Amino acid sequence: MTTARIGLILGVGAMFLLGCASSPQRAALPRTGDPILDGWLAITNGPREDRVLWQYRTALEYLRRGESTQAATLFDETLAVLQGRFGKNAGARRSRSLFSRESVKPFIGEPYERAMAFYYRGLLYWEEGELDNARACFRSAQLEDSDSETKAFANDYVLLDYLDGLASFRLNGRGEDAFLRATDSARLVIPPPYESIGNVLFFTEYGQAPEKYAVGEFKEKLKFRDGGSTAIEMILRTKQQAIHLGAMDDLAFQSSTRGGRLMDHVLHNKAVFKRGANVVGDVAVVSGLILAQNRRTQDAGLGLAAFGLVSKIVSAATTPRADIRTWDNLPKFLGFGAIHLPPGEQQVSVEFLNDQREVLPEMTQSMTIQVNQPPRDTVVFVSQFQNNPSRL
Amino acid sequence: MKNQLSIFGLALLLGCASPGIRNPSGVPVTEMNADERGFVTGTGIESQDLVAVTDQMARSILSTPEIKAFGQVPRVALDPVVNETRFPINQDIFLTRIRTQLNRQARGQVRFLARERLATLETERQQKRNGAFTSSSDPHRQEFKGADFFLTGKLQGLTTRTEAGVSDYVLYNFQLIDARTTEILWEDAAEIKKQGLEDAAYR
Repeated sequence: MTTARIGLILGVGAMFLLGCASSPQRAALPRTGDPILDGWLAITNGPREDRVLWQYRTALEYLRRGESTQAATLFDETLAVLQGRFGKNAGARRSRSLFSRESVKPFIGEPYERAMAFYYRGLLYWEEGELDNARACFRSAQLEDSDSETKAFANDYVLLDYLDGLASFRLNGRGEDAFLRATDSARLVIPPPYESIGNVLFFTEYGQAPEKYAVGEFKEKLKFRDGGSTAIEMILRTKQQAIHLGAMDDLAFQSSTRGGRLMDHVLHNKAVFKRGANVVGDVAVVSGLILAQNRRTQDAGLGLAAFGLVSKIVSAATTPRADIRTWDNLPKFLGFGAIHLPPGEQQVSVEFLNDQREVLPEMTQSMTIQVNQPPRDTVVFVSQFQNNPSRL
Repeated sequence: MKNQLSIFGLALLLGCASPGIRNPSGVPVTEMNADERGFVTGTGIESQDLVAVTDQMARSILSTPEIKAFGQVPRVALDPVVNETRFPINQDIFLTRIRTQLNRQARGQVRFLARERLATLETERQQKRNGAFTSSSDPHRQEFKGADFFLTGKLQGLTTRTEAGVSDYVLYNFQLIDARTTEILWEDAAEIKKQGLEDAAYR
């Protein structure tokens, strides 16, 4: 009789566990190797909670190919999500519950990723000649960096303040406040004064994106790893001049200086609960089975064992794992430079230098750009991840 | 034995219970008035702000004594709004709605000049002058009107972000400027402040 009851309890537990088993993993989307096609496939057919992530990746790929209209359209969709993220969100609420992964929430990215979406849209507005909208994007990007745990690292993107001021300078001759903020935050290179800025603006990027990974007993702690970069400097060459461009911002630095998230506390609590429920379950099952061997304490023992089993089941179902979905085609370094060039066709080449100040020939790019008639600026986007710089 | 089987079945069913899907059939499109606060909102510039601000400005312009007392029908040209907020906007949309409201409510009291169509209009005039198109009047006469006033504006913002959320204040300022004297004949402003807090999962 005792053995039968114990068997019943274990059997019920096993059936419950079987029932709890999560639904089968969604089949992986086929990959073609073309980032644009793969991006669209994921946007249209992939999990809804990953949609913004794929829009980020695909928009950036369009930008690197010089297809600015498509890039702007996709970035606009992501910015609409970012600006309307207030209030109730079923996915976000679910991600805070004990039994759901953090990654069930719709992805909008960590602050450095959100800032980059605004930054790239700002470049596209600049090229369209809408400097005040570009400036609006740079201001919103900087705001994304304002909720760091220690305020010492809040709003400290050099390039965003610098471009905010440059847009104001171009529009009405003023931009001193933003320029001062930019120079105060500068850690890598000191940005040049606005008066010296030419009509052809080069927005540069190189190095690998920061990586997210999870540590802790249940992978509940989100960490960032520097993606690294072979290149640390660039040289921009035209027929008349050559200028060195260093990085103004480092996304690895930005990703790692935010400090703790509120969500980290939620995940920590989930981990504590998971660990506690498991220990309680172990103790209760073992104690219950021992008590169940004695006829006088059999009922109490079986009850305790059942409670222990339920506790272990609850522990097993608790998922404190941190969300490590990453906008992985971002760069590490962001830079900016400008030169004066006459309107019309101009030849430009870009060389990347390593930490020994040696040219990396395999990364050298050259292009012919069409310089706009003044007063409109010409915007050139230079990325390590494209074959040639692109006039946006 | 029957009881035991029932317990097995119940356990399996309980385990299988999924959290359920909200709105499995989707949500039908909800038509809303432009001045209505929808269920998808942010702290930025939205349609209800546009409607409220432009309605206020149109009423205010019409009650301006200088407009009423202007000897002839005043000609107004639009100069794009300057956006100093942190929200990218279509710079023309505010002035377009003010113009539409004024044309609708006070037909004939003010006239607007279609400066954004100037290239097309100049081509048309040139074709008439060349004789390629017919003309109901002498195409060589200068009939393009100059502006008596410029209607323009500026949007300025103030943003605060703390653990309690994001607060955005936007000042919508509009002016009617005398093109001859540079005097600001009319000015009015509207202010809108919004606050929001995202889910803890994003903080």
